[in-house]
Amino acid sequence: MLKQDKGQQHTFEDKWPSMRAIVLKLLQQEPVTQNEWQDLFYNVHSVCLWDEKGAVKVRDALTDDIMEFIKKAQVRVMSHQEDQALLKAYIAEWRKFFTQCNYLPTPFRQLETSLVGYKTPGFKTATEASIVRKLMLDSWNESIFSDIKQRLQDSAMKLVHAERAGEAFDSQLVIGVRESYVNLCSNPKDKLQIYRDNFEKAYMEATEAFYKMKAPQYLHANGVQNYMRYADSKLREEELRAHKYLESCSGSVQLLTECCVNVLVTAFKNTILAECAGMIKANETDKLQLMFKLMDRVPDGISPMLDDLVEHILQAGLDDMMASADVITQDSEKYVERLLQLFNQFSLLVKEAFSDDPRFLTARDKAYKQVVNDTQVFRLELPSKQNSGVKCQPESKCPELLANYCDMLLRKTPLSKKLTSDEIESKLRDVLLVLKYVQNKDVFMRYHKAHLTRRLILDTSADSEKEENMVEWLREVGMPADYVNKLARMFQDVKVSEDLNQQFKEQCRSTRGSIADSINIKILNAGAWARGSERVTVSLPMELEDYIPEVEDFYKKKHSGRKLQWYHHMSNGTITFANSVGRYDVDVTTFQMAVLFAWNQRSQDRISYENLRLATELPDPELRRTLWSLVAFPKIRRQVLLYGPEVQSPKDFDENTQFWVNQEFALVKNGKLQKRGKINLVGRLQLSTERSKEEDNESIVQLRILRVQEAIIKILKMRKKMSNAQLQTELVDILKNMFLPSKKMIKEQIEWLIEHKYMRRDEDDINTFIYMA
Amino acid sequence: MADEDNSSDRVDNETPKPEKMFTLKKWNAVAMWSWDVECDTCAICRVQVMDACLRCQAESKAGSGRQDCVVVWGECNHSFHYCCMSLWVKQNNRCPLCQQEWSIQRMGK
Repeated sequence: MLKQDKGQQHTFEDKWPSMRAIVLKLLQQEPVTQNEWQDLFYNVHSVCLWDEKGAVKVRDALTDDIMEFIKKAQVRVMSHQEDQALLKAYIAEWRKFFTQCNYLPTPFRQLETSLVGYKTPGFKTATEASIVRKLMLDSWNESIFSDIKQRLQDSAMKLVHAERAGEAFDSQLVIGVRESYVNLCSNPKDKLQIYRDNFEKAYMEATEAFYKMKAPQYLHANGVQNYMRYADSKLREEELRAHKYLESCSGSVQLLTECCVNVLVTAFKNTILAECAGMIKANETDKLQLMFKLMDRVPDGISPMLDDLVEHILQAGLDDMMASADVITQDSEKYVERLLQLFNQFSLLVKEAFSDDPRFLTARDKAYKQVVNDTQVFRLELPSKQNSGVKCQPESKCPELLANYCDMLLRKTPLSKKLTSDEIESKLRDVLLVLKYVQNKDVFMRYHKAHLTRRLILDTSADSEKEENMVEWLREVGMPADYVNKLARMFQDVKVSEDLNQQFKEQCRSTRGSIADSINIKILNAGAWARGSERVTVSLPMELEDYIPEVEDFYKKKHSGRKLQWYHHMSNGTITFANSVGRYDVDVTTFQMAVLFAWNQRSQDRISYENLRLATELPDPELRRTLWSLVAFPKIRRQVLLYGPEVQSPKDFDENTQFWVNQEFALVKNGKLQKRGKINLVGRLQLSTERSKEEDNESIVQLRILRVQEAIIKILKMRKKMSNAQLQTELVDILKNMFLPSKKMIKEQIEWLIEHKYMRRDEDDINTFIYMA
Repeated sequence: MADEDNSSDRVDNETPKPEKMFTLKKWNAVAMWSWDVECDTCAICRVQVMDACLRCQAESKAGSGRQDCVVVWGECNHSFHYCCMSLWVKQNNRCPLCQQEWSIQRMGK
């Protein structure tokens, strides 16, 4: 009975009229009561269950109704002629319809199950691929949308165009159109297909066309600099606009930005870049910053700017050096300060104009390195080969001057006295900064060590703590460990020697009394201090000679297995010079002492050069130099010795030149003669003899040769076989903290190593080397 | 001529002339010491004997103060780092250079 009853009542024909009424209400967004809503569910359910063809019939009927509804909507929309009104109407209709797309399918859930055929009922979810929803959207797409999409799109683009031109309008219109494109997803695999093919494409084209026309006009009318500002602001503006009108997370925004960059920047790349060099020169950091921002978006946009920067630094740096060449070649303080000033100037430019972008920092480093190592202003002549003294390979004098400057800061000098401890520290840091760019650090090391030796031997360090800090800083900036260790050893050695000196004095005090106060000994480790064979013989005055055995005896008792060598060219002292004017304490080198003491027995005599040479037994160059320091010491009015006949330089003394003590010698202060006083005639302590000075430069070269050989072997031992180019790269890498090996030197050393069977060339490829054990 | 005078003058003049024109007030004498060796390289570690041996250099790298790495002489007068030699004799009690029986003649101090 039940079955019959139901069969009667639940056919499609019975139910549809009541259902249809509700569906229409829903479509038109008229109020639907809760009962009606529930009835619809019930009816759909029963029709699908009880009527065999019910489901199909319901679907067809529904399609018809939806189509009809859409037709009406289309008529309503199309009644508007004016674009904006049309858009408005369309969006209103679409919004309504789209809302229904979410509601209407719900009651027809049962339909889905029936139509699909019970296959996988559990899998379907309400929104995903709902048949009714798809039906609705497809119908919309086919009828109304395909008819007017071109108009919609065009109107929307017109609006965007108007906005670009500065007119205000309701942005919701464009957004509405976009949404309808996005939501009309008939293709489940690519839900944005319709949007992309139509809306996005149109938007891109419109944008491109707009700026293709505008940009050249603006550039022409306002010039490059204003144009950059224009382009930058437009890029930002378009990006914001894209965020508003384009579908986010579809990649559209990025596409659009690329498109804008193309039209606005890439198209005018060369015109814009042409301004770069001038701006760098004029230090127009704001404009450069802008250009940097624009060019950074363009492929290969930055590299011409980098080139311009390098060019500028080189030009400005070298011009500056040339212009002040007279001063800075003489004065290491001015030179280093000038270099630092340039460095800071360039760094500031990179910071302000390019926000310290790593690419620009690299360019700055590259260019600055060239300035520092440039040899145009002044050069250090290094013999390129040991025996061919003529061939010279010029090198920048920079490392030497840096070392001199360090010395001025670390020694007790007017400069170091003037500065506070912090100032000195920061200046030393500056030196290390410049040192980083110096190619031949080995030259710096050599000079720095010589200066340090002088300071330690003469006790002229301004601050011993700073001295030792400096050693650590050198380690930090990557100076070779063996070099830094040697410096550290010198400090330790001086301390050890100081202890020894105290012990010696105590012993003297107990045996010889007051003499203890008049002698200090420094007995140093030859391994840490000595540099080659540079000892000079001298016949010491008796007063000094007497001490020698005493010190040696003392030392023998303390140590065994050691031999002592006296380094009289390093030793020094204070003597009292008494004449008719007054008594003066004079700081002198031991050589000067040896010369002066020759007059003790014949104070009024004139002594010839030849006799002084016999008396002191000093080698000729050293005697000349010592005498010159006594007859022509810079910056004093009255010299200790007088001589005749007059000559221009120490080279011109001949064996008959006569020397005598200046009995009128006196210190003059503020134009007044002083009866007492102290004066230092040591000057710069000569660590090396004239002869060993030449050896010095040669030994730099010799050491470099050994380092190159050593490094080549080290690399080859590890690699066994490698190409020439690869070897060169690794070689430079290993040696860069000491010096930059020249191509020629590398080549020569490779030849040497091949000749001596350390390595050989590959038989098939002469540019490949093979290690031979 | 002058230097010959020098020595004889000294005896004559020291007492009679109380004040010389130049008198010594202070002297800072500088000397360098080195091990009194025939060959300045240690044949075992190939480092100069004036420097610490390889082992000591590696241990006291961070400037922690170099321990005294002294030199030792054998009866054969050959010299090496004491550190190097004391390791060597554990394996072979002969001088690496002349193969004579190793016995210590003296140590550096």
